[in-house]
Amino acid sequence: MAQVLGLLSNPDDTVTAIHELKSAGFKELEVYSPVPSHAIEHALDRGPSPLRLWTLIGCLTGVSFAYFMQIWVAYDWPLVIAGKPFASIVPYTIIGFELNILLGGLATVAGLIFFGMFLTRKGHDAYQPGFSGDVFGCIVNCHGDQVNRAQEVLRRAGSTEVRVVEG
Amino acid sequence: MAAVTEPVPQSPDQINEDILRVLEPPTPLYVLMVLLLATTVGVALVAFLYQTYWGLGVTGLMHPVMWGVYITTFVFWVGIAHAGTLISAILFLFRAKWRNAVNRGAEAMTVFAVLIAAMFPLIHIGRVYKFYFMVPYPNQRGVWPNFKSPLVWDLFAINTYMITSIMFFYVGLIPDLAAARDRVRDWRRYLYRALSLGWRGSGEQWRHWARAVLHLSGLSTPLVLSVHSVVSWDFATSMVPGWHTTIFAPYFVAGAIFSGIAMVITVLVPVRKAFHLEAYLRKEHFDNMGKLILLTSSVVGYSYGMEYLMAWYSANPYEQMSFWYRGFGYHWTSTWIMISCNVLSPLPLWIKWCRQNVLWMWITSIFINIGMWFERYVIIMTGLSHEYDPAAWGYYVPSVTELTILVGSFALFLTMFTVFLRLAPVVAIQEIKELWYEDHSSARAHGGHH
Repeated sequence: MAQVLGLLSNPDDTVTAIHELKSAGFKELEVYSPVPSHAIEHALDRGPSPLRLWTLIGCLTGVSFAYFMQIWVAYDWPLVIAGKPFASIVPYTIIGFELNILLGGLATVAGLIFFGMFLTRKGHDAYQPGFSGDVFGCIVNCHGDQVNRAQEVLRRAGSTEVRVVEG
Repeated sequence: MAAVTEPVPQSPDQINEDILRVLEPPTPLYVLMVLLLATTVGVALVAFLYQTYWGLGVTGLMHPVMWGVYITTFVFWVGIAHAGTLISAILFLFRAKWRNAVNRGAEAMTVFAVLIAAMFPLIHIGRVYKFYFMVPYPNQRGVWPNFKSPLVWDLFAINTYMITSIMFFYVGLIPDLAAARDRVRDWRRYLYRALSLGWRGSGEQWRHWARAVLHLSGLSTPLVLSVHSVVSWDFATSMVPGWHTTIFAPYFVAGAIFSGIAMVITVLVPVRKAFHLEAYLRKEHFDNMGKLILLTSSVVGYSYGMEYLMAWYSANPYEQMSFWYRGFGYHWTSTWIMISCNVLSPLPLWIKWCRQNVLWMWITSIFINIGMWFERYVIIMTGLSHEYDPAAWGYYVPSVTELTILVGSFALFLTMFTVFLRLAPVVAIQEIKELWYEDHSSARAHGGHH
C-alpha cells in the first residue's frame, strides 16, 4: 500500500480533490486541514459523529444519578417536616439539571478523546507542520499500480505539490 | 482628521505569526507587572491566613449582616464568568461570526473568574477546612446535605459551570495548541505536544471536534442561564425584604452578561494595544460588544426600576422601607454609584462613534465593573442590615482584611490572565483562519480579490 500526498492551498481545491479522487475510484482518503470546514466534511461524507450517542448517554446518566442520589438520601435519613413527603421532586430538578449537563459534557470530551485522539493516533507519517498553518493535505492510500493515477488526479485538482509518502 | 484604517491579515500564515508572536519571551515590563500582581496576591494570602487563624472576627461581619464583601465578590466573579460562555456558546449557536476574535480571551477569563468565584464561599465560611460539609459523601453519622437548600444547589451549579467551562475552553484550544507546538522551539514545545493530545487536524479529528464543540455549546447555553439563576435563588428563596422577588433570576443573568462583557473589554483593550492585535480585535468587535452592553444595561436598568415599582405597588411596608433605605439610607452612595455606572455610563454607547472608540469603551467598561460590584454590595448590605424588626437593624463596614482579599482577587485574576497570554494563543487562530478562508473563497467565487 502506498500513500500519495497532495498539498493544496485552500479548502475549495481540497474539496475538488476529494470529489475527483472519489470519482476516480479511490476510497481510502484522508485530509489534513488547518481549519474546520463543513465543505470538506461533506465531501468526505463519513456520516455523523458517534459523539452524539456519548453525549446522550452522559446526560441521561447524570440526570438519573442526580434524582436517585437525592431521593435515596432523603429516605436514608428521613426528616419529618410538616407531614410532607421526604423526597421533593421539584427542588431536586435543579441538581438533576446540573448533573445532566456535567456528565453530558464529560462524556462528550471523553468521546472526543477516544474517537478523535486515541483511535486516530497512528498513521500520520505524512503530517507536516504546515498543516496547522496554511497548507491543506489530501492523502490517498492506494496500491502501487494506482500511484500515477492518484498523482495525476491530485495535480489536476490544483495541488501545489504531489509526492509519494510511503512506497 | 484622516481616517485611520486597521491592518488586515494577508494570509493564514500571517495570522499564525501575528497571534503566536504573543507567546514570545516576555519583556522586563511584563515580568515586572506579573511580579507586582503576584506580590498583591501574596499580601491577600497573608490576610486570608490571618483570618483563618483568628476567625471571622477580623472581618466586619456582624449580626445582622452575615454576608459581606466575600459573598458580594463571589456573586461578582460568577457574573464575570458569564461572558465567555455567552460569547463562545450562545453566539456560536447563533452563528455570530464576530465572536471568533474575542471568544478565546473571554473563555480564558471565564475559567479564571469562576475559579476565583469558587474560592469566596470557602473564604467566607471562615473554617475553610470544613467545606466538605456541603459535599454529599457517606460518613459515619449518615447525615447528608439538604438538597432542598439553595446553597447546595449553588455548590453543584458553580462546580458544574467551572468544569464545563474548563472543558469548553480546552477543547477549543486544542487545534491552536497544535499550531503552537509546530512553531515554538523552546521547552514549551513539550508542553504543547502533551496538551494538544496528538492533534493533526485530520478530517476525522475535525469531524469529532466540531461535533464536540456543538454539543458543549448546546449544553453550556442553558447552563450559563441556570448558574446565575441558581445564585440569585440564594437570595430570592429567602424572606429578606428586597430579595424575595421572582425577577431575581433574569435580573441576575442580565447583570452577569453585562458585567462579563465589560470585563472582556477591560482585559482585551490593553492586550490589543500591547501585542499589536489591531488586525484581529477590530473596532467592529467593540461595536458589537457595545451593543450587547446597551441591551443588558437596559435590562438591568429596567430591573432596578421594577424593584422599586414592585415595592411601591405591593404596599408592603417592609419592602418599601427596604428600598427607601437602599436609595436614601446609610448606603445611598453605593446605590447611586451602582445606578450611575450601570445605567447612565453606558448611555453614550447609543452613539456609534463611542462604541467604535476603543478608549471610550475601555473607560465605560471599568465604570461598569465598578457599578456591578456595587450592585451586589447594595443588594446584600441593604437587604440584611434593614430587615423586619428595627431592633435588629444593623450596619456593616468592611474590614481591612476583607478589602485586602477583595483586591487580591482582582490581582489573582489579572495574574492568571497575564500568564495565560504567554502560554496559549489569546485569539482563536483556527477560527480567525476559518473566517479568512470563507472571505477569500467568496472573493474567488466572485472572480476577484476580497
